Amino acid sequence: MGSMEASTAPENGTAAAAAAGASTACNGAAASNGGGVERRLRSSAASASWASHLPLEVGTRVMCRWRDQKLHPVKVIERRKSSTSSSPADYEYYVHYTEFNRRLDEWVKLEQLDLETVETDVDEKVEDKATSLKMTRHQKRKIDETHVEQGHEELDAASLREHEEFTKVKNIAKIELGRYEIDTWYFSPFPPEYNDSPKLFFCEFCLNFMKRKEQLQRHMKKCDLKHPPGDEIYRSGTLSMFEVDGKKNKVYGQNLCYLAKLFLDHKTLYYDVDLFLFYVLCECDDRGCHMVGYFSKEKHSEESYNLACILTLPPYQRKGYGKFLIAFSYELSKKEGKVGTPERPLSDLGLLSYRGYWTRVLLEILKKHKSNISIKELSDMTAIKADDILSTLQSLDLIQYRKGQHVICADPKVLDRHLKAAGRGGLEVDVSKLIWTPYKEQG
Amino acid sequence: MAMSRLSFRPRPLDIHKKLPILKSAREFEDDDPTAAAVAVARAGVLLRQSAPELTAATTATEGEGNPTPTKKNIQEIPTPQFDAVGTYERDYTRTFAQPTCYIRGRGARAEIGEFVEYDLDNEDEDWLEDFNNERKNLNPEKLEVLLFKLEILDHKARERAGAITPTFIGPVPVLLQLDAAMEALQFLSVRYGVFQAVYSYWKDKRERWQKPILRRLQPPPPVNDTNPYNVFRPREKAHRLHTRRMQRRENNIQSFEKLRMVRRNLDQAKALMDALVKREETKREAMECEVNLQRIQMKYKHEAQLVDEGTALSGFQQVSSRFGSSEDDYADSDDTTTEQPYIRPPVFRPRFADHKLSVIPTLRIKRERELKRRPQQNGWVFKRDPEEPVLLFTRPLDPEKLVAAGIKPPPDPPIENGATMPPFRCRGRIGRGGRIIFDRWNPLLQTPIGQETSYYAVARGQWRGVSGAWAVARGRHQHGNTLAVAAAAA
Repeated sequence: MGSMEASTAPENGTAAAAAAGASTACNGAAASNGGGVERRLRSSAASASWASHLPLEVGTRVMCRWRDQKLHPVKVIERRKSSTSSSPADYEYYVHYTEFNRRLDEWVKLEQLDLETVETDVDEKVEDKATSLKMTRHQKRKIDETHVEQGHEELDAASLREHEEFTKVKNIAKIELGRYEIDTWYFSPFPPEYNDSPKLFFCEFCLNFMKRKEQLQRHMKKCDLKHPPGDEIYRSGTLSMFEVDGKKNKVYGQNLCYLAKLFLDHKTLYYDVDLFLFYVLCECDDRGCHMVGYFSKEKHSEESYNLACILTLPPYQRKGYGKFLIAFSYELSKKEGKVGTPERPLSDLGLLSYRGYWTRVLLEILKKHKSNISIKELSDMTAIKADDILSTLQSLDLIQYRKGQHVICADPKVLDRHLKAAGRGGLEVDVSKLIWTPYKEQG
Repeated sequence: MAMSRLSFRPRPLDIHKKLPILKSAREFEDDDPTAAAVAVARAGVLLRQSAPELTAATTATEGEGNPTPTKKNIQEIPTPQFDAVGTYERDYTRTFAQPTCYIRGRGARAEIGEFVEYDLDNEDEDWLEDFNNERKNLNPEKLEVLLFKLEILDHKARERAGAITPTFIGPVPVLLQLDAAMEALQFLSVRYGVFQAVYSYWKDKRERWQKPILRRLQPPPPVNDTNPYNVFRPREKAHRLHTRRMQRRENNIQSFEKLRMVRRNLDQAKALMDALVKREETKREAMECEVNLQRIQMKYKHEAQLVDEGTALSGFQQVSSRFGSSEDDYADSDDTTTEQPYIRPPVFRPRFADHKLSVIPTLRIKRERELKRRPQQNGWVFKRDPEEPVLLFTRPLDPEKLVAAGIKPPPDPPIENGATMPPFRCRGRIGRGGRIIFDRWNPLLQTPIGQETSYYAVARGQWRGVSGAWAVARGRHQHGNTLAVAAAAA
């Protein structure tokens, strides 16, 4: 039976020791949920009797009060004893809101659960209309819910399962970074000694993380870094871009990856940061250069990836920084004289942003271009990979095959409609303010 | 239908081929109304589909957002919650002055200076609170420094012992011993009892953790470790073609760091050299000033005395130097009454400071007692003025020592026809670096030694770098002036 106890001592044989505990818990839960067999729960007819059925089992479905104060259906993913009490009633439950994205999964207390709504229905057979298959209601629901999780289409089933097992439960729920305290979205593989801490405090500039506020305050007295530890390669107004070499600033690179993983689902920290460059976007004031977002890039990519991971920190989202980062990555590609494409799989938000960028850039060219143009030329002008250009134009239905050849539709009205749908451009990149030479490996 | 069969099976698109751009949708319609209609319809559908997607995303509010959950058919991208931190203004000071030029990175802090990379964690803080126990045995910053230094020292010890592994293959041992640590860290001035307690605590923590407590020093997991919770494995180096050049030149982290160190050392050396050059130039200037001063003083003084005195004086005082010099000098200068056993050439017996030349000496002229016995060439004598400076590199030779060393002064050359004196004489002195120099040429008067015609010339006997001087080899047969020979012929 999967159950995760809140650890109190930072046990550190090898990381494997602590992890083994966690993964068996996950596997235990998987066994009970996989295969579509749902647990039958007791009737709630006798209202007093449910008290004796605490703690709730993993897999229980119940209504839970969310931050909007309304009840929403959830499924219990994990449970743990509350560290302050040992009575069987005092468990905490990690729940997944079945209507929402996994990002919103969180630990809740018993009082948030409406125990009268603990599911009791019989697992009867129904017919799935789409496939005309007969299955139990629970099986059907499971399939439907799987489709809620977007952004995983490019992972095969096995990796997806593995990924979900590994990242099932968020370990750090909140972080403090500079001016803001931010709720996290996803699990991040911090060193095991940090797993007992629900909140981490990050130094805004060197990104070292600590478990208590006093530790951060003590750190700030000695930390003299006021900007990312790399070269400033772009400055326009208060916006600056710093290039950090993962090899030269390994600890910073690792810290940044730990931090970013909290907000990126599919980022992998499997390999070291040596082979990456980090482009950190900052807003500068008299307190320093404050990171608002970043993207990472392989020093040498065989698949011509010009971007590995991209993130705008939550407090700064929806302000155009993400689009700036994408545009910036292509400006670097142009300077290198190479075409580029973002590493796959793209997140849901990522794909949206890229489609917007490609649409804006390509359609602006098509509006102005007089004569014929080839996809290759478009690629050379924009540093966008031909495949991406094709997929964009095709998804907008701007490429037709007529009379034995392909043509591009560039009707201004049509283009404007698409441009409007694609949304505004973000902050502009002023190429004249970019002072940068492409990375060269020594030797 | 006007569509040809080819429309159903388009050839793959050639990205290099220029495609015509049709600026009007009607052009589609003219040719193929069905296809155009489909295209327009699809475009419309696409727009309708994407709009709610985007609307859902954009209606999620900023700040302390309360995203409205939508039904599961439409993809919802939630915005995360965030709050402002109350103590921000206090914790982060407004001390950043952005330079006008773009900022250059200076490399990782760990390598550059004395930044204490370690931060106390919960365990450390709790232990410290217990340890201090209401008193103030140890402050947190000091504990932080101690733990940091212990980690670094232990890492170095493991390096020396060859116990550093590139990846994590097993528990990392503690090799640093208490006394070694105490010795290395005594500059921190920690009381023994406190230090011992910290060391024990640190060692115990290390043994529990089985790895360094400073994250930078923890070895990464091996490449074949499949545990997904372990991160940052070292990437295998891409195999590059091994050219001869590559084989000879190891280009890796170590050589880069070495080059960095070399560069730093060179910069320091350069700074040092610059300072040295400046110092020597200043010294030379000071020296030239001294020389000029002496010349002027001498000229003034002795020309005056020439008028005053006519006969030899009978009792010189030897004036001791005003500065520290070797014992020899002191012995000599104290010896004011005894006759010097040796006869010295008719020169001053100047004094000067120690050879280190770290101080510009205030030079003193020391009177030469023997001068009174010497047959004066010009029939004059002089009185010494204790204030007169002594020239450098004009230290007199000690005839006894010369004899003891078996060194004979060079002989006077034979007297030529018609002359009364040899064309030059040799005057010994101790020159730069303690060399024994016998001058035969007076550079100031541009005359051979022994031929000076004025007191001034004699007085300005010798100094450094005199042309025509040579160092004397042992065993060379010489004969100087009669007095010198008498002394040397031992």
